Amino acid sequence: MDTVSMATAALARPRRRRRIALWRGLAGLAGLVIVLEIISRAGIVNRAFLPPFSTVVVEAVQLWGDPVFRADVGSTLLTYLLGMLIAAAIAVPLGILFGLFAPVYRAASALVELMRPIPPVALVPLVLLVLGSGLEMKLAIAVFAAVWPIMFNTLYGVHDVDPYAKEMARSFGVSAFGVIRRVVIPSAAPFVMTGVRIASSISLIVVITVELIAGGAQGLGAFISRERAYGDAEAYLAVLAATVTAGILGLLINLAIGAVERRFFGWDATAREGA
Amino acid sequence: MTTTTPTPTPDATASPRGSAPHRGGRRALVAVLYFMVPLAVVVALWQGAAVTSISPFFPPPLKIGANLWELLLGRGQLVTDAFTGDVLPTVGRTALGFAIGSAWGVLIGTAMGLSRGTRETATPIVEFLRSIPATATLPLFILLLGGGDDMRIAFIAYGVSWFVLINTASGVGTIHKTLIDLGRVFRVSPARRLFAIVLPAAMPKIFAGLRIASTAALLLAIVSEFMLATNGIGFLLIQAQGRFQLLDMWSWMLLLAILGLLINVLLDLAERRLLSWHRFSRAKI
Repeated sequence: MDTVSMATAALARPRRRRRIALWRGLAGLAGLVIVLEIISRAGIVNRAFLPPFSTVVVEAVQLWGDPVFRADVGSTLLTYLLGMLIAAAIAVPLGILFGLFAPVYRAASALVELMRPIPPVALVPLVLLVLGSGLEMKLAIAVFAAVWPIMFNTLYGVHDVDPYAKEMARSFGVSAFGVIRRVVIPSAAPFVMTGVRIASSISLIVVITVELIAGGAQGLGAFISRERAYGDAEAYLAVLAATVTAGILGLLINLAIGAVERRFFGWDATAREGA
Repeated sequence: MTTTTPTPTPDATASPRGSAPHRGGRRALVAVLYFMVPLAVVVALWQGAAVTSISPFFPPPLKIGANLWELLLGRGQLVTDAFTGDVLPTVGRTALGFAIGSAWGVLIGTAMGLSRGTRETATPIVEFLRSIPATATLPLFILLLGGGDDMRIAFIAYGVSWFVLINTASGVGTIHKTLIDLGRVFRVSPARRLFAIVLPAAMPKIFAGLRIASTAALLLAIVSEFMLATNGIGFLLIQAQGRFQLLDMWSWMLLLAILGLLINVLLDLAERRLLSWHRFSRAKI
């Protein structure tokens, strides 16, 4: 084989690999769907507990026609997005500021280490009393949940910036603010993104949990909670369909964040590593 | 497992210079101070704000601490009923759910990491299932398994397993091929290859997953106790809220914060012990 065709073969290989991966993935999904469908239709498991997959999908599609359900999904998404924005607006500037000076960095990361393991849902009863069951309540808890992972990673990323890079920028006459803008922020950005990714999954879980627990709230969790209260087979189907919808929502958010990471931080291997 | 590492790496934490004991003691003191001083400042500020404010929602932190002490240890008793009847069940369910979920996650994650076919077939399913916010599945667990302890443990295990599974699959899947080939060349049996080469090499990533999973386990335990429970810290928290006993409510919140921290510290210690050979293990989260 000559070098040119070897090179093209090497180039073609990843594409072929991706195609195989795609087919295998589709086969896995199809297999699972078929197995679930058969188990349910053959009556191996009580059909009330495991309705055929196709019925769940049909129900999920039909739910979209329901304006109440759409409003619930909208409310969940809005809370999630606002929560992430507010948390990032708090955590990133503070993280950069605190990360720049070694003693402040140590004190701040000690505090963050203390706050991070606190389960955000423990705050739900208090915030319910103080803020009621509206959007503010959900938002307060979502922000609390998202702030710490972003802050932790920003602190670490800023602290981790190569000191020689900062030194060099300074010796080229870049101002203190310029060093932050041109050296510190670009080199810490992948860490911030890691924090955002972790915060994002926690945040969505927390928003839906709060909606589940807080009576009278709006949102996907509240929808599930309301339907569950009816307790009949039809309501159960709606609970399943809403759970599947929550999964699709989570999947879309994960994919979006993954795409942002690949697009902007593809150069940084650590961006895709870690938790 | 540390004894089976192929290359004995020098302890990264050992001080390269002399007078190590003196230096180490002083460094530990500084580290403790870095934790205690900010904490003391925050508590002092909070105490000051709470004492001067008239809001009934925010009792002063020292009062919360004293109240928690009384709730757990009572007056004159060794421990209260709340401690044995609520705190211990929560801790037990969290630990059991975490253990089962982690074992399951490592098992499936290893299977996915070892074989490309399994990984590529299972990835879309795993990606979808783990995208469902775990707590949204709680009503399903209640409908399927009822309101007992086994439901709660299954729910915690399910929610926790994804973090461990993903990290194990990625850790096992990204081991350098040379390491595995080396085992083959030396005719190490497949079982020993798995336990002596593959899993130790994937350990740092598995631990990253366990770390997140442990925090999640406590969260899921509390959420499961918010619904249909008859005992547990989450149950006490909701009850205190319903009766407007704000001081008790804050005390249970404080206990949950302490438990969360404790779990984190325990896992940190385990990680340091098991991964002291791995220089980069603690580089990120």
